[in-house]
Amino acid sequence: MDPSSSGIQEPFDLIRLSLSERVFVKLRGDRELSGILHAYDGHMNLILSDVEETIMIVDEEGQGAVNIAKRKMNMLFVRGDGVILVSPPSRT
Amino acid sequence: MEESTPPPPPNESSPPPPPPAATSGSPTDFLKGVVGKRVVVRLTSGVDYKGVLSCLDGYMNIALEQTEEHVNGTITNRYGDTFIRGNNVLYISAAEAL
Amino acid sequence: MASQILPLELIDRCIGSRIWVIMKTEREFTGILTGFDDFVNMVLEDVTEFEITPQGTKKTKLAQTLLNGNNICMLIPGSNGPEES
Repeated sequence: MDPSSSGIQEPFDLIRLSLSERVFVKLRGDRELSGILHAYDGHMNLILSDVEETIMIVDEEGQGAVNIAKRKMNMLFVRGDGVILVSPPSRT
Repeated sequence: MEESTPPPPPNESSPPPPPPAATSGSPTDFLKGVVGKRVVVRLTSGVDYKGVLSCLDGYMNIALEQTEEHVNGTITNRYGDTFIRGNNVLYISAAEAL
Repeated sequence: MASQILPLELIDRCIGSRIWVIMKTEREFTGILTGFDDFVNMVLEDVTEFEITPQGTKKTKLAQTLLNGNNICMLIPGSNGPEES
């Protein structure tokens, strides 16, 4: 019952193994977060600290030129339904 | 894909499962065969994630290894591991022979 | 009222033959249906994906594919898809 080398049985194991680590989170609406993962639940609601948010603002008229806005938050709750993906720090 | 005859339906008095009983080509069978293989996961946004499928659950939440993010045919990101929330998934397609 | 056929029974009879899947968005698939479940998640073989944009239709060939039932709108049995008609 161990399909891969990593010992991950279900997708949430990946998140569980990332607790207290810095994770990369991609959200709907061209938002990205990087922060320390403190808690999560089955909806993928997240608590992150020491967060940097990156917002990509694509200018459709200017041939898709991208403006990037950044901001920082100390402590953040993320509602799960906005989450597209979570990537833990590389385990290699 | 390996060919196997579907098991005979169980003869129980308990109520049968709703409409179609799973055949050998069912989503569950596909997923059993594709874990550990290279796949393409396309999201409804059109973004593709190519990698090795390590596992998934009933919500189609997916854990991928050696992930490449492809937007319009070009690689835009690489991740060691990725958790993809299932509601964003359009399809999972085998990228190597099963 | 004798033998009402359920919608999913019709789809069950399509297993092994080609089917045309139209999504809620501007996206369609054809392929050979190998199976599906109660959510109408579908497994297709020998798949062609059609992305319909104002610039035209982009076709993508896919091997065996599990299609999420969440975004499916309509199913047309025995059809080769948008290019047949």
